[in-house]
Amino acid sequence: MRSPLRGRGRGEGSAMRGGGRGPRGRGPRGRVPGGRGPRSGPGGMKGGNKVIVTPHRHEGVFIGKGKDEVILTKNLVPGESVYNEKRISVQNEDGTKVEYRVWNPFRSKLAAAIFGGLDDIWIKPGAKVLYLGAASGTSVSHVSDIVGPEGCVYAVEFSPRSGRDLVNMAKKRRNVVPIIEDARHPAKYRMLVSMVDVIFADVAQPDQARIVGLNASFFLKAGGHYMISIKAKCIDATMPAETVFSNEVKKLQADELKPAEQITLEPYERDHACVVGGYRMPKKQKTATAS
Amino acid sequence: MLLLFETPGGFAIFKVLDEGKLSNVEDLGNVFSSAESARKMVKLKAFDKFDNTSEALEAVAKLVEGTPSKGLRKFLKANCKDETLAVADSKLGNIIKEKLTIDCIHNNAVMELLRGVRSQLSELISGLGEQDLAPMSLGLSHSLARYKLKFSSDKVDTMIIQAIGLLDDLDKELNTYAMRVREWYGWHFPELAKIISDNILYAKSVKLMGNRINAAKLDFSEILADEVEAELKEASVISMGTEVSDLDLIHIRELCDQVLSLAEYRAQLYDYLKSRMNTIAPNLTALVGELVGARLISHSGSLLNLSKQPGSTVQILGAEKALFRALKTKHNTPKYGLIFHASVVGQAGGKNKPRIARSLAAKAALSIRCDALGDAGDNSMGVENRLKLEARLRSLEGKDLGRLAGSAKGKPKIEVYNKDKKMGSGGLITPAKVRLLSLQPLVLSAIVTYLYCCFVQTYNTAADSLLVQTPASAEDGVKEKKEKKKKKKKKAEAEEEEEAKSEESSKKKKKKAKTEVEFEVEEPAKKEKKKKRKHEEEETEEPAKKKEKKEKKKKKSEA
Repeated sequence: MRSPLRGRGRGEGSAMRGGGRGPRGRGPRGRVPGGRGPRSGPGGMKGGNKVIVTPHRHEGVFIGKGKDEVILTKNLVPGESVYNEKRISVQNEDGTKVEYRVWNPFRSKLAAAIFGGLDDIWIKPGAKVLYLGAASGTSVSHVSDIVGPEGCVYAVEFSPRSGRDLVNMAKKRRNVVPIIEDARHPAKYRMLVSMVDVIFADVAQPDQARIVGLNASFFLKAGGHYMISIKAKCIDATMPAETVFSNEVKKLQADELKPAEQITLEPYERDHACVVGGYRMPKKQKTATAS
Repeated sequence: MLLLFETPGGFAIFKVLDEGKLSNVEDLGNVFSSAESARKMVKLKAFDKFDNTSEALEAVAKLVEGTPSKGLRKFLKANCKDETLAVADSKLGNIIKEKLTIDCIHNNAVMELLRGVRSQLSELISGLGEQDLAPMSLGLSHSLARYKLKFSSDKVDTMIIQAIGLLDDLDKELNTYAMRVREWYGWHFPELAKIISDNILYAKSVKLMGNRINAAKLDFSEILADEVEAELKEASVISMGTEVSDLDLIHIRELCDQVLSLAEYRAQLYDYLKSRMNTIAPNLTALVGELVGARLISHSGSLLNLSKQPGSTVQILGAEKALFRALKTKHNTPKYGLIFHASVVGQAGGKNKPRIARSLAAKAALSIRCDALGDAGDNSMGVENRLKLEARLRSLEGKDLGRLAGSAKGKPKIEVYNKDKKMGSGGLITPAKVRLLSLQPLVLSAIVTYLYCCFVQTYNTAADSLLVQTPASAEDGVKEKKEKKKKKKKKAEAEEEEEAKSEESSKKKKKKAKTEVEFEVEEPAKKEKKKKRKHEEEETEEPAKKKEKKEKKKKKSEA
């Protein structure tokens, strides 16, 4: 291998020759390969636009107002995108730069729920979150941004392919604990998880109410909260969505998971609902007796 | 009653102090709401810390399956005599009961107890604070995940990316240092720079001689060729460079050492890269080679990323600037990126280059996916694909030749001269074109007559009878030329063998025997030159034409 390989230069040199063969009228060549082309994310966010960032009602979440509105989370690992999402850099008055990542509600159910107008997501800086159904870690990364370095996210995902991506993501973010186990058997990862404040479940399984209940009995603190994303087709494809949701809510109530609010995830997802509630909430009348 | 609790730091056994409360499961939760009441309920009896991460991983991996590890068994045997043990997993409890004859229980009360202990863990285990548990849990989870995903450390593509980056850096550095040596030493002995063009040899020579005065006495035969050495010695005597002190020479020599060690390391790094590429992406390596494969992987960031790209992207990876410019200005997009340096693309010529580049990119995309997402660790698929590609290249070149030489229907396609059209990639004239010339009828007859004369002069007199023969066959040849089909030279050569034999059989004359002798003498020499393509085609080509070619060749060999 004596010839010095200036790979790109030579490749481009030949490429230029090809391009210089005289212009021929050809239409656009279709989709641009790889992640280099503009991604179809929240519309209107082109490079170089001015965006104003203000904090959202929920702590840890921010709103970016440019041509369109987007929600953002503060990047825990500045300079890196997890899934090729857009990042917004803002300069503070004292000169420091803060980087935010755009949260796409079409890809993340949690973002869709926030857009939908939940009262409280309970995921805040410093919280401990158990995330069931973490997949490749795209939403988990945003939760990790919100809880910050003090908090902790236990991400449970069963599939090895997605698990690999999850572990790679967790290498960069030290507050994510990746768990490659079946969420149906929380006993299998009991030695890795401590008591958590919030459970977020996006598992898309027919028995997900039971799964959440089991995990809550293991790991969710008394007075803790949960958020479940329910996909009606997944539970029962024949019943109408409303019925499915009310059935699920009943099942949750039986497991001591008291629902507080329910919203639909339209227009981002069809026939999806998000139920938020509390676990073993202290009853207002009785006072907790310490014996 | 004892309670077994597993933490990322080790196993803990708690003694349940107040067993009465266990009957009321509801209120059990309240008991653990404060540290004080928790301590009244359970007390830490024993704690078995994991010695190191590998022990922790082993213990936890076994627990996940539901079996106790050796460490756990020992721990339980030592601490759980004559007591019932509350466990979180009933399956585990059964096995412990079987193997260690310790009674295990698992019920709602136990679950509540575990919950409570978990919520007050840092209070109950004095040595283990929150801040200790978190990193332990993180480390353990990563090890467990790696174990689950069957992570193999020699299949990491990060090594490739770093190695190829380092290779490029090293090249740059090496070049910079070598240039510096030349410049520096050129102050003392400027002529040497022109005499020795290779950087490494320059450094070696400088290291050996130091001051140019020593050049005359020393022997450079291991480093340089003889003429170069002689030149060097000559130039050293009449050099116009200035003198330098010994201290300066010491430093120059040190720099030379650096250059040489860097060069050696670069060679080692290259070997390392080759071996890693063969382990990580054997199919890709078989198809495009180690260096191009490594550059592709490093360009897209990881093997998995690369596997997600379609073949068309693989084709132009590395030529993005040209690509987007062409797309924006509605020009032609580039035909190859990094793939240009693959050996298969280099072999192709002219119009076949982009065709082969596209085919190669398609096969490469398949091989990459096989490497990244498949299980087989061998390169069988890559080798197969490469063979297919080479066959395609041959057929492409064959088609070209066929078109240029003319088809069964008529005359060859004569390419009209167009001064603006670039012929191939720099006008590399393929052998086909040369042969085309040789097939031109006018030229042929000229060659025939000329060679006939040469032929006569060089052959021995014993073959006088042949001379009678050859004109006859030459005339034959001229006639048959008009009917003949134009075929590839390879075919012609192959046929020559057969025709020799057929001719022998067709001409049933005594002199024929001598003809045979003649042909046989020539054929062994010819066979060496021929490529191994054996076509069993009908011998329509006239013998004379073949003979002319032979004569022409003989003439060439004489020249």
